[in-house]
Amino acid sequence: MTQVSQFPGRPLLSGRPLLEVSQLVKRYDAGKPALDGISFSIRKGEFVSVIGPSGAGKSTLLRCINRMIEATSGEVSFEGASVGLLDRKNLKRLRSKIGMIFQHYNLVERLTVIENVLHGRLGAKSTLAGAAGHYSREEKRQATEVIAMLGLSDHLYQRCDRLSGGQKQRVGIARALLQDPRMILCDEPIASLDPNASRNIMEQLKRFSQEMDIALIVNLHQVNVACKYSDRILGVNAGRLVFDGRPEELTPEKISQIYGAESRSLTAELGEQYAS
Amino acid sequence: MTALQQIPGRPLRKEKVVIRLLLLGLAGTTIYALATLDFGGIDMAEAVRDTLANLKIIFLHPGGPRLSFLSALEEVIITLGLAFLTTLFGGIIALFLGLLGAQNLSPKPVTVVVMALVALIRAVPTILWVLIFAVAAGLGSTAAVVGMTFHSISYLTKAYAESFEDLDRSVIEALKASGANWWQIVFQAVIPSSFSYLLSWTFLRFEINFANAVAMGAAAGASGVGFDLFMASGFYFDLREVGLITYIILAFAMALEAAATRAKGRIKHAG
Ligand SMILES: Nc1ncnc2c1ncn2[C@@H]1O[C@H](COP(=O)(O)OP(=O)(O)O)[C@@H](O)[C@H]1O
Ligand SMILES: [Mg+2]
Repeated sequence: MTQVSQFPGRPLLSGRPLLEVSQLVKRYDAGKPALDGISFSIRKGEFVSVIGPSGAGKSTLLRCINRMIEATSGEVSFEGASVGLLDRKNLKRLRSKIGMIFQHYNLVERLTVIENVLHGRLGAKSTLAGAAGHYSREEKRQATEVIAMLGLSDHLYQRCDRLSGGQKQRVGIARALLQDPRMILCDEPIASLDPNASRNIMEQLKRFSQEMDIALIVNLHQVNVACKYSDRILGVNAGRLVFDGRPEELTPEKISQIYGAESRSLTAELGEQYAS
Repeated sequence: MTALQQIPGRPLRKEKVVIRLLLLGLAGTTIYALATLDFGGIDMAEAVRDTLANLKIIFLHPGGPRLSFLSALEEVIITLGLAFLTTLFGGIIALFLGLLGAQNLSPKPVTVVVMALVALIRAVPTILWVLIFAVAAGLGSTAAVVGMTFHSISYLTKAYAESFEDLDRSVIEALKASGANWWQIVFQAVIPSSFSYLLSWTFLRFEINFANAVAMGAAAGASGVGFDLFMASGFYFDLREVGLITYIILAFAMALEAAATRAKGRIKHAG
């Protein structure tokens, strides 16, 4: 956790962006689109939070990036390749380079910690080797190492349904890290956790983002958490990007623009945060 | 609970009336049938006495001149083999059908077709399937194996599909998002995670198939201990042998039950 302070500033521009999203539109049904022309880009190793009221389209946005949801129009390109044009095999390869963690962890609860973490290697394997569960010695070593980094060594062979929420989320992070990803998409990673566990998870994420140069896109509910950990914040309201800037630029006016009617209580909360 | 009790029982009252009327009707017809039944000049008291005497021979003096204990054991093993074979065939085929029938693994139209088909097969009793296949294969072990396998497939497909559905759709989404494909998810997440359920259901079906195999031996001439029971009772009228065979079947059924219970317990503790 000391690492966080060791890397105060990062080079602002380092060549091509890792991810470019342009004019992304997602329409689920005839009504209002869930995403309405969103454009932004993410650099290597950047920590970006996405904030906005519930139903704004944050989860949809994340899932359009790795095509868990097919966008209606617009373009996503990752490492220079257009994601929308990938065939099945290359989509598998793309997904194996992008980790994902979730509010409800989405682990196979009846399997052990190490089994769940090793699942992170499946995307890099052939269908047969993966289905047969043929993990190399090196992969197992990496898995135990990542688990150790997250402080779960004592629970290596424990079933995941016996773990606490914070521990489960750390298993989720370990699974994503074992993919050796360039980017991790996090959909409300701390929404089900208590404040202590939340802080721990956010610090772990920050640390891996910096030490391993992994870009993070984190959907968050709490503005103060977003401000504390992010290099940049995206504000989404009703499927539109209404804010894209550094945490310092996020003024109360901007917050009320992002959150609309919900904003009053949130700015109050933020004020308290700054006051304390 | 208290909240439930406070809800007035009005919608239930109507049902109660219907059930009471139905029971009354059934009681009436039963009494009428008994009163007007043609006993054909049988003395009821004597008939009951004879039946009890027969039961006494069967259960208190088992044994038989024709069937040695060893050959009886051999016949039981044939019956067990029949049960094992049909459970194995049924299990393997049901595993794949179960994957196609599980809502978290297959597209909706496929699951609907598979589950409807399987429900249709299950609705017809095992013995009827055996008789249907006997048209092509002739009465005997082939028809019994095919017919019993058929019914096992439908039973196990439903059980397996429901076990697979225990793994949340969002977990499968998570693995897909990491680049894993369908086969990898099935063999690395779905099956390992539902393994203890699959095993329990398969054991359960094995027990059912053992009972079925006994019946098939008698009804479809599929050999095994069921056929001996049929011959002893229907052909030789040897009550003592019927008793012996019944005890042997009972012993095996109980051993099976005990083994299944222990296996299930072991899975639970290990898991
Ligand atoms: N599968 C779906 N089918 C139809 N509408 C959906 C679906 N998923 C999300 N939506 C709608 O899209 C909008 C954005 O949802 P979502 O991306 O989940 O927002 P957020 O994550 O910001 O809370 C909401 O109005 C929601 O009702
Ligand atoms: Mg969401």
